[in-house]
Amino acid sequence: MELLVASAVGALTAGGVYLILRLRAFAVILGLALLSYAVNVFLFSTGRLAVNKPPVLDGYTVTDFAAYTDPLPQALVLTAIVISFGMTAVLVMFALGAYLEVGDDKIDMQAPDQPDQGATARDARDPEHEQIKFRFEPKERDV
Amino acid sequence: MNHWIIAPVILPALLAPLIAFVMRHDIVVARAASAIGTLALLAISIGLTVLAAKGETHVYYLGNWPAPFGIVLVLDRLSALMVLLTAILAVIVLLHAMITEWDNRGRHFHALFQFQLMGICGAFLTGDAFNLFVFFEVLLIASYGLMVHSGGKTRLQAGLQYVVMNLVGSTLFLFALGTLYAATGTLNIADLVVKVQESSADDSGLIRVAAMLLLIVFGIKAALVPLHFWLPATYANAPAPVAALFAIMTKVGAYAIIRIHGMAFGPDNPATDTLIGDWLFPLALLTIALGAVGVLGARRVGPLLSYAVVGSMGTLLLAVSVFDPYATTTALYYLIHSTFSAAALFLLADLIVARRGNDWLGLQPATMHNGLFAALFFVAAIGMVGMPPLSGFLGKLMILDALSAPEVIGWAWTAILVASLLSILGFARAGSILFWKSTSASMNTADVSNTAAAQDHRSAPIPAVGFDVAPAMLAVALLVALAATAGPVTSYLEATSAQIYESSGYVDAVLNGASEEAR
Amino acid sequence: MFSENSLLAIIAILPFLGALVPGIMIRAGRNACASFTAIPTVLALVLLGALAPGVMDGTVYRYEIEWLPQLGLSAAFFLDGLGLLFACMILGVGLLITLYARYYLSSKDPMGQFYTYLLLFQGAMLGIVLSDNILLLLIFWELTSLSSFLLIGYWKHLPEGRQGARMALTVTGAGGLAMIGGMLILGQIVGSYHLTDILAAGDQIRASEWYAPALILILLGAFTKSAQFPFHFWLPHAMAAPTPVSAYLHSATMVKAGVFLLARMWPALAGTDLWFYTVASVGLVTMVLGAVIALFKDDLKALLAFSTVSHLGLLTMLLGFGTKEAAIAAVFHIINHLTFKAALFMTAGIIDHETGTRDIKRLGGLARLMPITAVIGTVAALSMAGFPLFNGFLSKEAMLHEAAHTTWYQNSWIVGTLATLGALFSVAYSLRFIFHVFAGPPRDDYPAKPHDPGFGMWAAPAFLCIFVIAIGVAPFLATPVVKMAAEAVTGQDLTFYLKIWHGVNTAFLMSVAAILGGAILLVMHRHLDRIWVAAPRPEAKAIFDRLIAASVGSMRGLTATLHHGAISRYLAIVVAVTVALGAIAFTGGTMGPVTRDLTPVPPVVFVGWVLLMAAVAMVVIHHRVRFRALVVIGVIGLMISSGFVYLSAPDLALTQITVETVTILLLLLALHFLPKQTPIESGAGRRTSDAALAIATGVAVAALAYSFMLRDFSTISDFHLANSKSGGGGTNVVNVILVDFRGYDTYGEIIVLGIAGLCIYALMEALLNGPAGRKLRNADFGADRSRDRHPLMMVVATRVMLPIALMVAVYIFLRGHNQPGGGFVAGLIFSIALLMQYMASGFAWTTRRKRFEYHALIGFGVLIAGLTGVGSWLAGRPFLTSNFGYFEFPPIEEFELATALLFDLGVFLCVLGAVMLMLYSLSRLARHAGETVNQEPMEYDPSLAVRAPSSTGKGA
Repeated sequence: MELLVASAVGALTAGGVYLILRLRAFAVILGLALLSYAVNVFLFSTGRLAVNKPPVLDGYTVTDFAAYTDPLPQALVLTAIVISFGMTAVLVMFALGAYLEVGDDKIDMQAPDQPDQGATARDARDPEHEQIKFRFEPKERDV
Repeated sequence: MNHWIIAPVILPALLAPLIAFVMRHDIVVARAASAIGTLALLAISIGLTVLAAKGETHVYYLGNWPAPFGIVLVLDRLSALMVLLTAILAVIVLLHAMITEWDNRGRHFHALFQFQLMGICGAFLTGDAFNLFVFFEVLLIASYGLMVHSGGKTRLQAGLQYVVMNLVGSTLFLFALGTLYAATGTLNIADLVVKVQESSADDSGLIRVAAMLLLIVFGIKAALVPLHFWLPATYANAPAPVAALFAIMTKVGAYAIIRIHGMAFGPDNPATDTLIGDWLFPLALLTIALGAVGVLGARRVGPLLSYAVVGSMGTLLLAVSVFDPYATTTALYYLIHSTFSAAALFLLADLIVARRGNDWLGLQPATMHNGLFAALFFVAAIGMVGMPPLSGFLGKLMILDALSAPEVIGWAWTAILVASLLSILGFARAGSILFWKSTSASMNTADVSNTAAAQDHRSAPIPAVGFDVAPAMLAVALLVALAATAGPVTSYLEATSAQIYESSGYVDAVLNGASEEAR
Repeated sequence: MFSENSLLAIIAILPFLGALVPGIMIRAGRNACASFTAIPTVLALVLLGALAPGVMDGTVYRYEIEWLPQLGLSAAFFLDGLGLLFACMILGVGLLITLYARYYLSSKDPMGQFYTYLLLFQGAMLGIVLSDNILLLLIFWELTSLSSFLLIGYWKHLPEGRQGARMALTVTGAGGLAMIGGMLILGQIVGSYHLTDILAAGDQIRASEWYAPALILILLGAFTKSAQFPFHFWLPHAMAAPTPVSAYLHSATMVKAGVFLLARMWPALAGTDLWFYTVASVGLVTMVLGAVIALFKDDLKALLAFSTVSHLGLLTMLLGFGTKEAAIAAVFHIINHLTFKAALFMTAGIIDHETGTRDIKRLGGLARLMPITAVIGTVAALSMAGFPLFNGFLSKEAMLHEAAHTTWYQNSWIVGTLATLGALFSVAYSLRFIFHVFAGPPRDDYPAKPHDPGFGMWAAPAFLCIFVIAIGVAPFLATPVVKMAAEAVTGQDLTFYLKIWHGVNTAFLMSVAAILGGAILLVMHRHLDRIWVAAPRPEAKAIFDRLIAASVGSMRGLTATLHHGAISRYLAIVVAVTVALGAIAFTGGTMGPVTRDLTPVPPVVFVGWVLLMAAVAMVVIHHRVRFRALVVIGVIGLMISSGFVYLSAPDLALTQITVETVTILLLLLALHFLPKQTPIESGAGRRTSDAALAIATGVAVAALAYSFMLRDFSTISDFHLANSKSGGGGTNVVNVILVDFRGYDTYGEIIVLGIAGLCIYALMEALLNGPAGRKLRNADFGADRSRDRHPLMMVVATRVMLPIALMVAVYIFLRGHNQPGGGFVAGLIFSIALLMQYMASGFAWTTRRKRFEYHALIGFGVLIAGLTGVGSWLAGRPFLTSNFGYFEFPPIEEFELATALLFDLGVFLCVLGAVMLMLYSLSRLARHAGETVNQEPMEYDPSLAVRAPSSTGKGA
């Protein structure tokens, strides 16, 4: 069983990583979804695996801890699921917004420092580097 | 138990929904509420700092469950300091946002702003690793909203990238926490310190992985090269007040490294010994270098400042990476400084860019109040590049002094000093183009016409009302004050880092502290 | 209490306070501005005068204020002979410059700014010479660089001004940074940053193995500041500054800072071979080189600039010798150079001001046109040339004397010869200054009509010339001052007499030779100049510009290549780094023994696993066909949920499946606006590398998970099991952890949801009001829309299901605390029910039947949760303490559930609100896109009868 779970996590991660490296927002969304599956299962498995030991008490006091699986990772995973749900929703909307603004859903953009519509050739070249002769002295030479 | 400890989290958390859902149709009311809330936060954090300065570590047992089983908030000098820093920055940024009407250019600015503060304060105050994750998410998702506040093409694209990068980071954070729990069976930081110290060197694999993964997670936040790639585009495209507020976000990463790695995974424990420092140091050097390169190469104001921030983070993390009290003291001093200098510059840049119409370092006729902005920019830049007499110089001086051990001195000093020179060059270039060249006779009307292309949806030249420079001036003034009071500030910071490295005090306070156990 | 010592601090602070004055006084007119600027300087001078007698008697005044004790930085000042001499020079010349500038600056120049910068600089300079703490000295040192940057760039509209300023800042700034390193090392050798301690610890310093690096770094600072070869090139370009600045900074004060530092550090650093060979040699080279170039400069200020370089070289050389006599000569020459060079610069300024040119080739015969200026200029120039009866002669004599008696690598004549050569050239250019400018027939081709300026302008240089002659004729007048300063430099008692006539000795012969040779050179100048022009020489400025341009270019290139904006690459790097470092960390440690045996695998589970793996493969392979990918994702979610069921995590299963549904529904709705296909954009090579990285990551994660799943561990969660019922009042431990043990996490979690709702709403607002909104209106997403938008079957089904779904939701919600379920799941089920209504019957129909506001839902959710937590304060309990146990009387089931329920209600509302808000935003998009809204369910869409771009029903 452990082997299956581990391999499943691995597969999900691998698939997720491959997809987040694609160039379109939608693929990246899918990738992140896979990744969140992967991490949820991973987190869950940190409590080690147990079959038929749901952490739902049958008595007022607990005598045998071994009768129940570790509840804490489950709680953590629940929190993680909820959060990643919210995140996914926001991500989808961002992707949608970017798509509507830009016209395609490519996820790469131009470098922050490259000329874009706001710039002209004049902006792009460095304005402080025209050669300047020393004042009042036409043939400037110094060592 | 002192309920004020949780106030920095609860206050904005209760205020934000009210602003969002009751006052969302009236910007004036929203502003008032937001302002009052932020000022209250400032007052509270001052109180907390005074409380923490007495040296005792205060613990707040949420749900009244004993540690390490419930979640605890911990108020020590470090967390108090960070919360105070956040509050001060918040006041400045909020002022700017209101005066420049940024907050009115999109919906829910103030609500998101308050949630952002809640997230940051929560992250600083928590004493639980998983809870740290939760509050990272809170502050992140709030920052997503603020990042794309008022929309715009490039801003949305950058925002999307920012979100994706951070979602990957969050996933990684969960992997790290999972590994941590699998290894130690606990999430409480104090308990973690104990468990890690107890762990034997021959079962160190998982702990080392966890420590390293956490370093990477925090490294992403702190823009540690090569995990920094999200920063330039984000800061350059975020609304100016948000970019200024983000000055504290990178520090959250640095804080987490100091807190968790400094206390649990420091060089003195068998499992990880010098693993973290060995990797943090070279990466920090790279960060410094890359920051300087970016500053000198920048074509636009936004990236110029963004890379300056990267560089300052490098300097900060370099000091952190040696994990000894004095170095950490200097790091903390520099942390305060770089927060305010970054904020000051971003706010100034906003005013300047608003007047120029775009943020290209290109030929353009001088704008109104050229002299005033030139002077302010000059001072703020001096602060950022670490020239005297502002706090940047003292900070760098102290860091150099702290990094003078023979095995590090060569790399550290070369990196910091050369990087300073490059940044000085870069900022001198930028300033001379922005404020001097613009006055040259060659500036004819032809230039005016084709500079109309504004990056933001805001009308070009607006005259300064003098009011709108106040927040930026305030930030600059703080740099001056920080330099003037360097002595007392540093002695507080010395106590702070001493508290961090004598983790036993923290551990006792958390684990053996009296939660009023009534169950 | 007030002591003379505290005067020091006042003196140091005065100029900075004064810097505030001009800005204000300029409103009162230029004269007022100038005179008020002079006040702080005068005051400082007076105070200094008060201390002078004491210093003369050898007392050293000290004043210290703590600043940053942790670092050893304190605002410590001290005043000894050397300090006093320099302080007087700085303030005295500063005063003259203030006067001179008043008349020099044209009415167009902002005078207030100028004086402010000037005083800032004066303060910084004063600080350097008064500091008793080398870190403080560093601060003032860098301040001079900054203020001179402002002064050189004062005429900011002139490119040479800007470039000269930046060049100066770059060079001196770089030196300053090097010096920071040097000073820190020095301080760490001695264990104190106090100058007085350092000067006392000379032997210790010279013995330390850190001596060499410290010395080199400090010398870098000094040489760049004092324009020593090969850093001399910035000084001529700094001449783009207004002449008063040149006269002040670049002859009298700032460039002397380097020399001052050498003198100051003399007792600590001098006396070693390293010192001698670096300092003396550099000085010697600079002296000769500067003199030679100066002769061929046609710009008056350039000539003076290079002569300054040459004289600074002379001083450096003298200090480099490391002998007492040399030090005396140096101090003496510092004074003399100050007097004649400042005078000369002002003269040049006057000439420029009057004739409109500084080009020597266009000057001549000014002696008749402006006699007073001519006299001043000639006197100063003769002193510079080193003619007898002028003060320049005496110090040059002393210099030659020292040079003649210095051996350099067993070579006893080379220093002397070169020194003479330098002297010879300086005679030549001094005479050229006189003859080519003042002598000859008066010319009438000047841009302006030259005549002597008003008294205010020539007063200052004339005043200086008085010293030139006075000292030149009666050197004994200067003796006490020189003695005082020289003793401070060497730190020893000295006895010597400055006299005019030392008899016919080597030095005398050397200077005679220099004077004759210089005269001859001048005669031959025309021919020499032609040769000089012809000869190829490196152009420092061009090189520097190219260097800067190149570095900026390369930096720009590097930045661009690294930050290309392709996040897919960034992510690849991050992932790769993570895997690599993780692996390193893992292999660096060791794992304990395996303590758990594998859990058996029943066949059905195995089948599920196969399905899962297949699904993952499917998604990766078919991710381009987006709908299909979404469906398969659903399958994966299903498999995982069933896995959770099998591995005793019912809550997870329930949540997973519901979240799954909602997420996919939202994605489907979003996909409506997105392209339905993903084009192939990455080449095979890149896909392979990505795949490789992905697989590596997968393997790493799998290995990690596997390795810990085989090992037991002790966990804190036993406590939770034990206290769940007794303390938390619920049997479903997971739920109790969520709402009680770790309720704070859940609180944060629902806030995340709430913020998500806000973000989305705000984003949509921004979108619809921006260009995207317009785009949407013109877009046509209707291509693949069926004409019958709301199939009857579905409508009926959902109507029937709605109440059932709601009941289920309520049930799940209520049982949550004891059985799998809870507010979150309930909220999701509720919203799924509503979602289905939307899908079936259209948004408008649904909204018109909804009775609540989504914003409010989220708001109440967050508030309720928060207030539940705060409520426990009333009972003096910490945030989020559950009600159970508040009261003495034994708990009642319903009552005990109350707070947990309340909190869970918050969760429920938040989830519902967030989901519905997302839905709402999407539907607004849809309506912008022109999707017509049916008022009644199952109605027929007219817009699709004719395939016109769907424009109808906008108003709805």
